[in-house]
Amino acid sequence: MGDKKPILDLLQEELIILDGAMGSLLIDQGLPAGAPPEIWNVSNPDKIKKIHQKYFDAGSNVVLTNTFGGSGLKLAAYKRENSIEEYNRKAVEIAIESCPENGYIAGDIGPSGTFLLPVGDITTIDFESNYQEQMQILADAGVDLFFIETMVDLQEAEAAVKSVKSVSKLPVFVSMTYKKTKRGFFTIMGNSIEQCVASLQKLGVDAIGANCTIGSDDMIELIKELNLLTELPIIAKPNAGQPQLIKGETVYPTTSKDFAKDISQIVKNNARIVGGCCGTDPGFIEKIVQKIKR
Amino acid sequence: MTFTEECKEAILRGNIDQAAVLAQKVLDEKLDINDAIDAFSLAIREAGDLFEEGEFFLPELMRSAEAMKAAMTIFEPVLKEGKEERILGKVVIGTIEGDIHDIGKTLVAAMLSAEGFVVHDLGADVPVSTFIEKALEVNANLICISALLTTTMVGQKKLIDSLKEKNLRDRFKVLIGGAPVSKQWVEEIGADGSAENAVSAVKLAKKLIESK
Repeated sequence: MGDKKPILDLLQEELIILDGAMGSLLIDQGLPAGAPPEIWNVSNPDKIKKIHQKYFDAGSNVVLTNTFGGSGLKLAAYKRENSIEEYNRKAVEIAIESCPENGYIAGDIGPSGTFLLPVGDITTIDFESNYQEQMQILADAGVDLFFIETMVDLQEAEAAVKSVKSVSKLPVFVSMTYKKTKRGFFTIMGNSIEQCVASLQKLGVDAIGANCTIGSDDMIELIKELNLLTELPIIAKPNAGQPQLIKGETVYPTTSKDFAKDISQIVKNNARIVGGCCGTDPGFIEKIVQKIKR
Repeated sequence: MTFTEECKEAILRGNIDQAAVLAQKVLDEKLDINDAIDAFSLAIREAGDLFEEGEFFLPELMRSAEAMKAAMTIFEPVLKEGKEERILGKVVIGTIEGDIHDIGKTLVAAMLSAEGFVVHDLGADVPVSTFIEKALEVNANLICISALLTTTMVGQKKLIDSLKEKNLRDRFKVLIGGAPVSKQWVEEIGADGSAENAVSAVKLAKKLIESK
């Protein structure tokens, strides 16, 4: 990993390319339905490593560790909370092994899958201790930054940011997931883009954005709105459309070519950190790089 | 504000305590219980419409459903006494085995229960056999089975196939749910329907029960 420049310095100079999906690729390679993807950090590390390498080869500056569901609360849903240390530490080791000298490793943090009252029975304190545990492991194992993503509840995202700030001084990127309603973009908990930006900025995050739920076409409009609300670097990581099950196969309708075209527009709308979410693969990243970097 | 308007406001504001107070008032002051239930029901439907319009989100809808439930719980003993039981039907609901996403399912359960269904929520990661055992045990009218992942959606097909094998397919209506569920999938596996969201799910459940 040597003496590469800090990611925030790189961000001043150029667009940052993230990776694409992990989970859907693992499923393609035989991860059984119902198993948390993090188990392969231990039982199938070579497959994870290969995916990271393919993303770096395709032109990703940053790959996300296979730890999206690696928090205690989420693993508890699979009765695997005792493996939190192993799953997260191994994930970082695998990512570091696959990382070229100028590459970066982001500790990936997804939602806990639990909800505050009245939807669920969780408190913000539960959220914070949940994330602190995972983030400490990721920080100790040597990630370069944290990537908090797919958050549906601003309060949970806030708890995650506070947790990371309490265990580490590394950069923090935060990406919420919004759905498109007749009144504009909101999280399912009803947080507007404006609320999310105001609150997360105050907490001192280093980049802010949106991923998942919507496809690259709707993301163009979302990023335009987001850009009017913040001076922070903007992240965009859309899906390749909405998944469909056709003859037993999961199919995402957006092609890599159309996706890259949308990303190019998203970059024109001022996103500085781009990648793909569900349904994307290294081929998508390659197309993005061709379209916007060369 | 009229009493009906007060009922409506309690539900739309998701004021659980106020909904219970108003329901108790109906009993204490011997007001017309059916009028009150109609008022509460109209309000929960309006909450549903607001959700569909993007005015309400998960927390608001959940609170409205809870408020409705609080009122109905107070009415329940009286309704039973008067043999005016307003049970619309019995539902067994859960997220399929291998899938731990249960927010959509929980919301549908809350809305069904608010509307007067008796709901047995089996939680998430539920094996096909458990759905069927429970449905037989409680003599359910309706089985609702949720899957958020395209990889676990096949469990919905398994449930229907298993019902067919056991010659039980005609005994229950089966509704399937989850973000990736399409009309095409409903037809392919022979389910009785699916809905875009919790509100439409309740409408569909009522329609299916009435047609049975």
